[in-house]
Amino acid sequence: MRQQKAEEYMSGNLTAMIDVVFQLIIFFVCTIKMQDDASEQAIKLAMAPNGMPVVVKDSREIIISVTEDGRISIARTPLSVKDLSGILRKAVSMTGTDIPVVIKADSKSQHGDVRKVMDACAGANIWKIKISALKEKAG
Amino acid sequence: MARKRKRNEAVAGELNLTAMIDVAFQLLSFFIITIKPVDVLTNLDVFRPAPDSRPPPAEIKELATVLIHKDGFVLQGRKVSLDEVERQLGKISAISKDVPVVIKCTNDSRHDSLVKLLDRCAKLRLTKLSVFSM
Repeated sequence: MRQQKAEEYMSGNLTAMIDVVFQLIIFFVCTIKMQDDASEQAIKLAMAPNGMPVVVKDSREIIISVTEDGRISIARTPLSVKDLSGILRKAVSMTGTDIPVVIKADSKSQHGDVRKVMDACAGANIWKIKISALKEKAG
Repeated sequence: MARKRKRNEAVAGELNLTAMIDVAFQLLSFFIITIKPVDVLTNLDVFRPAPDSRPPPAEIKELATVLIHKDGFVLQGRKVSLDEVERQLGKISAISKDVPVVIKCTNDSRHDSLVKLLDRCAKLRLTKLSVFSM
């Protein structure tokens, strides 16, 4: 009887320990993923509370990011101005010059860098540009 | 034998309930931790003519030109604050919302200033905004 009692006791504890191990694993998996996203240079957009909120997301949209120190990237892939021009021209040849282009520039970025992006757009015959800003800051 | 079975069954019943409560709390904590309120974005539309095209001549009367320098805004040759720019543009927009606004930025001006200006123009419902670079 004692042996069985001891076994039952052990199996109860073991289940709890396995549970805790899984919890720790899940916790670390989730937090490491969040750290990875946050540590990369996030772009802090400037505030523009009077703009119209973005409702519909156009799937043809090209979002060009410009960081504080002037690095240009699309979807986290850094690009040079020449690459950017090439991509824009290709996009225009496929969908036309009315393709929506959004520039997400950090609020502390220099206009000179944003200008390079805008000139690349102009070179691809795109002259309607959207500049992204924060209407409402969350949290 | 009957007693042992009963104890086994009793223990199995307790454990199941604890495990389910555990899972429920885990799911709860997970969703509480991972839910993040999303920022509401807005896209401000501007026209950006090709860099080699000249800005429209100043003879067109209903043209408003705002310069953005590194340290502030310049309207009609005077250094003004953003609120002053908004007031002047407000007077112009009262006449017509279709007045083309020409914004010229220097290379070392901050993007922040441009966005603030575009924001005020959006507030005044001015939609014909062109951005040039000096």
